[in-house]
Amino acid sequence: MNKKKIYPQWFLLLPLALYIIFFLFPSILGVLYSFTDWCARSSKTGLHFVGLDNYIEIFTSNKNYADGIYHTLMFTLISNIVKLIPALFLAILLQEGIKGKGLYRTLFYLPSILPFVIIGIVFKSVLNYNSGLLNSSLEFLQLGFLKQKWLSDLGMVWKSIFGVDAWRGIGYVMTIFLAGLNAIPKSYYEAAEIDGANFWHKLRFITLPMMSGSIMINLVFGITYGLKVFDVVYVLTNGGPGHATEVLTTYAFQLYSNGQYGMSTALNAILLVITAVIGVMVVKVMSKQEVQQ
Amino acid sequence: MRKKVLATLLCLSMTATMLAGCGSTQAEESVATESETTEAAPAEAEATEETAPAEETATADFSGEELSILVSAGWMDNRYDATLARFEETYGVTVDLQTIPADQYSDILQSKLDTGTCADVFWIQSNPFAIASTIVDPEKYCIDFTGSDWENIMPEARKASCTYDGKLYGLQIWHNSPEYVMLYNKTMFDELGVSVPATYAELLKACETISAEGIVPWFVPGADGWQHQLSFFQIGGVYEAAQPGLYDALNNNTATFADNTKMLEVLEQFKELSDKGYFGEDWIGTDSTNMSNEFGDRNCAMAMANSSYIKQIKEDTGTEDEFGLFLLPLGDNSYFPTNPAGPTMFGYNGSEHPELVQEFFKFVCSTESLQEILDNSPAYTNLDVNDDALAQKWLPEEEEFMASLDESKMGTAVLQTGTKYTNDYWMDFGADMVSFCQGQMEANDVLKNMDTNRAEAAKVAGDAAWK
Repeated sequence: MNKKKIYPQWFLLLPLALYIIFFLFPSILGVLYSFTDWCARSSKTGLHFVGLDNYIEIFTSNKNYADGIYHTLMFTLISNIVKLIPALFLAILLQEGIKGKGLYRTLFYLPSILPFVIIGIVFKSVLNYNSGLLNSSLEFLQLGFLKQKWLSDLGMVWKSIFGVDAWRGIGYVMTIFLAGLNAIPKSYYEAAEIDGANFWHKLRFITLPMMSGSIMINLVFGITYGLKVFDVVYVLTNGGPGHATEVLTTYAFQLYSNGQYGMSTALNAILLVITAVIGVMVVKVMSKQEVQQ
Repeated sequence: MRKKVLATLLCLSMTATMLAGCGSTQAEESVATESETTEAAPAEAEATEETAPAEETATADFSGEELSILVSAGWMDNRYDATLARFEETYGVTVDLQTIPADQYSDILQSKLDTGTCADVFWIQSNPFAIASTIVDPEKYCIDFTGSDWENIMPEARKASCTYDGKLYGLQIWHNSPEYVMLYNKTMFDELGVSVPATYAELLKACETISAEGIVPWFVPGADGWQHQLSFFQIGGVYEAAQPGLYDALNNNTATFADNTKMLEVLEQFKELSDKGYFGEDWIGTDSTNMSNEFGDRNCAMAMANSSYIKQIKEDTGTEDEFGLFLLPLGDNSYFPTNPAGPTMFGYNGSEHPELVQEFFKFVCSTESLQEILDNSPAYTNLDVNDDALAQKWLPEEEEFMASLDESKMGTAVLQTGTKYTNDYWMDFGADMVSFCQGQMEANDVLKNMDTNRAEAAKVAGDAAWK
């Protein structure tokens, strides 16, 4: 059987070696460093094993790192909901029955190619309470009562972040869904229509089951993106107002820049564990569903 | 067999491509080194034969090189543009100016230093303790400028922020105006019958009167992330007066910020002003971009600013209003914010062209450059340097304000400069103050966090007082 394969096993050696040296080894080293007092001065004072001290500090410190973990998980969950569901309906809408769908697809996809730094600068200006485009437009439309402190009100700031993140990410998710939709044979829908199926029936019994592959891809991408979220938060609020939007990575970045590398790697190790557990769970669940189908 | 040959060939070609990729860089580098050597050799020979003018030699040596500068927004701005352009022209080099938003600068600088990717010249907000705590290992990261020609351009007080262990590492060119005191619209105060407040109670009353007119009493640009905490730190004298020896005790780790009655009082007063809306409807989300226009349009009456900001308001808006200065009366403060610190530039020790960095520092310190910097700074009225040839531009308002001060209350430095490791957590403290004002933290927790942070910084710096 193996003889029929074009690539022999040893062909893996070089890429595997590169992967181990440049990815796996540093990752493991990072986890090991989280059990030390590694800091900016370690080159002079040396590195010392401190056991679980860094982890204990994370969960007991008055700096609320635990809130950062909670915010990260919350962002992962909500950002996926606000992107996946609208993107699915947009994909269905742009798959059929609308004129100029090519143009719309391009327009929806365009924000995904913009760097977050630019998006941050633009939206900071758009969402400014006193002079931002959004509040000014609301006032112009006599809807001044809807004006909000988009980036400084504790009740609004996360919603603004989710909004900006969705604005940027929906087009990308939609594109993957479109690829999935294209793979579904039209005859299934025709047969269902003959049997009297309405839009929701077709969605429930044909589209969603047939798209489990693209849903899984979007979910895995979305979850890993959500767990390591940094840029959208950093450019829009930098963790503020106060510490209201701090996530794991912003805390890790601050600690690293303060020279507390050990603590920073401990936070990253926590992120690694959470990502690995959730990632494996999602892939297992979705694979099981695929097999059942 | 054929497949094996194919696999082997593919594998070899992959390895060869990878090596070629690495090799080409080395080749380019060696070519570059060679050409540099070739260019440098005649220059050296010429210099030995006859003493050429400094600038001509420098041009021959540095032509085509690039000097990168990493700086926080607000520290160089347009005031250095003309000097940088002249430097480029004089030496035939290009300057890559990397200006980072203020709220991100500290994190980015530290990451770049830690990863060995820093620009040739970098800036920090320095004070007598900052080199040890911010740069941590100046011998590793900074070029030693001890004995440079420009060393004495700085007054002794500023030099303290640029030296560590007797070695000179930095250059601080900053002004000596009253820094971050209360700037107010004198004309508006007179029209509303408001007198200059000397106590917190009077400030509260003044804010009430101004607010009733639909004007923001005190413009606080919280979104900048670094301005609002000035109202806590600039009145260091009042904390020291309330608890004599506090600064020494904080530096020896025998006192804490937490539970300090005066500090708690000031934080509570700040929150009261915020709660009453005296900082504006959305001070947390407002930055300072539009501050001078807010003054010019009479939308606000006061702000913490440098005295020279008066000049900027007038230039930006053309307002006819008169402006004045008074001491921030939070905590009933009557102490002047003495602060011999400021943004300071350092040469990165890992720079590929340290000689060019040395030349740049020398170039900046020439009278021509200093005058250029001052002339191109609408916000400066003077530069605190030892250069009699420099034409300073003191404002009458500054002179009037300085004349009104009690000299005995000018001896204590501001809290962030007078105590170790405090300034390093400026942004964190600001974020904590916002959390406190939004009801997410208690006042004492804000202070406790500062103690925790200072302890961490002391640990990193290996400070014996914290062991």
